[in-house]
Amino acid sequence: MVDQETIALLMKGINGVTWQAVVMILVSLALFYLAIVKDYEPLLLLPIGAGCLLANLPLSPLMGEHGMLRILYQVGVENELYPLLIFVGIGAMTDFGPLLENPKFVLLGAAGQFGIFLTLILALLLGFSQNEAASIGIIGAIDGPTSIYVSGILAPHMLGPITVAAYSYMSLVPIIMPPVIHALTSKEERAIRMAYSQRKISRRTRIMFPIIVTAIVGTLVPFATPLIGMLMLGNLMKESGAVERLTKASSNEIANMVTLFLGLAIGSTMVGADFLKTQTLFILILGLLAFGIDCAAGVLFAKILNWLTGGKVNPIIGAAGISAFPMAARVCQRLAQQENFDNFLLMHAMGANAAGQVASVVAGGVLLALMGAGG
Amino acid sequence: MRRYTLNINDREFIVDVQEIDGENFEVTVGDQTYDVNLAGDEAAAGAPVVPGLAPGAAPAALARKAAAPRPAPAAPAETPASAASATPAPARKAAGGSGKSAQTAPMPGVILEVNVKPGETVARGQQIAILDAMKMHNVIGAQKAGVVEEVFVAAGQSVDHGTPLLKFRED
Repeated sequence: MVDQETIALLMKGINGVTWQAVVMILVSLALFYLAIVKDYEPLLLLPIGAGCLLANLPLSPLMGEHGMLRILYQVGVENELYPLLIFVGIGAMTDFGPLLENPKFVLLGAAGQFGIFLTLILALLLGFSQNEAASIGIIGAIDGPTSIYVSGILAPHMLGPITVAAYSYMSLVPIIMPPVIHALTSKEERAIRMAYSQRKISRRTRIMFPIIVTAIVGTLVPFATPLIGMLMLGNLMKESGAVERLTKASSNEIANMVTLFLGLAIGSTMVGADFLKTQTLFILILGLLAFGIDCAAGVLFAKILNWLTGGKVNPIIGAAGISAFPMAARVCQRLAQQENFDNFLLMHAMGANAAGQVASVVAGGVLLALMGAGG
Repeated sequence: MRRYTLNINDREFIVDVQEIDGENFEVTVGDQTYDVNLAGDEAAAGAPVVPGLAPGAAPAALARKAAAPRPAPAAPAETPASAASATPAPARKAAGGSGKSAQTAPMPGVILEVNVKPGETVARGQQIAILDAMKMHNVIGAQKAGVVEEVFVAAGQSVDHGTPLLKFRED
């Protein structure tokens, strides 16, 4: 007996299609395109696209009370577990050696966070709440996990667009950074050679570094303790060499697994009605601005350092003071080589980049403290 | 590169010593650059290396003082000829001449590819090798035009900063 009611039940899916959902499915297709064809951060953008697609299908059971995407979200995004686990892996993959060889580059890392705070002010002026503005500003750090961590605490409703912005811009580092650097430096400045420092960093220093940084940063900026603690835990495991299995698991299996979960969960927050707002557009634009200003501030600060040292610092490396390790440093090296094929400042750029990695975490903690987030 | 700031009779000299290979250095004093060949390197315990330097003394002599304290790093396979005739006076080569006969690694890493063979003529900037440093593939270009005499590295080999990569034929 096929009556009206049965037909309605069978047609529930088709009737549940909304125009917002259709647009969001197109967004997920765009993410797939970026991930698969353009190779932009595929490890994250592909799962995010999948999460977005699945969450926007009509009546998506995955989003129901015991739906998988919902559970993944509750397990690790709501309580900030995923970004912290990823940080252990990042710590296990980051080599702070170049920074230890040139500790003065800590300053470049600090300068590279300037855009965060400028964008925050701009977002406030545009009518975002304090917490929202802070979450938008943190995109400028170009550090996915930090962005997720901070916005997850301050503005969970904006997690989707912020994460997508942070990771898309991360993959756009090679496209966005060069014009900013070119605009702010002269050919002569970009051609400056930097002597390779031959300081050998002892194993003891490498092991002490993560412990000391955790203690100092944790004391100064308690809100940054979870992030810096996990980052440095990973680094301690790597440098000590005592727990090779854990180091490997953190940087491979755990990081990969969490990346999948995180991507799916973040994608599932991109649901039509919430995502399709002019607000989202503002977030994307402001995030890009934050990134650009961060780069510019780093370059300008490097120019000051160059002036102070009497022409010994190539301003290009200032742009590496953002996070996005080690991509930013590689872009700097490529730019330097364009001017001079035998100019190798990769190690210096890596130093600034590693500093940027730590500094963006600290900046995230400072933002949380400023916003008075309850831990 | 190493920078020495020497105070000699109250006059300050800034001497930059750039190592080309084990025995050849590029030495900059003020705005003059010299190619310097280190012919001898002995640890004369406590004794001044070059006594009686007067202000404005020949920069080459200064450079000798600067370059001498540094232990010459092991330069494989290319020591025999000049090391034997260890004359005390630095044999200064003609500035801008053929002193830069070897090219060294600009930073530590692993050689992924070597793109030239001995006897090959290369142009300045031509790719001679790919060096993987910090997981980035860096194209190493020939530092000058010339004929490759000897290649010291092979793919897969780890190099340190200053490890000689190849030697150009001197003409």
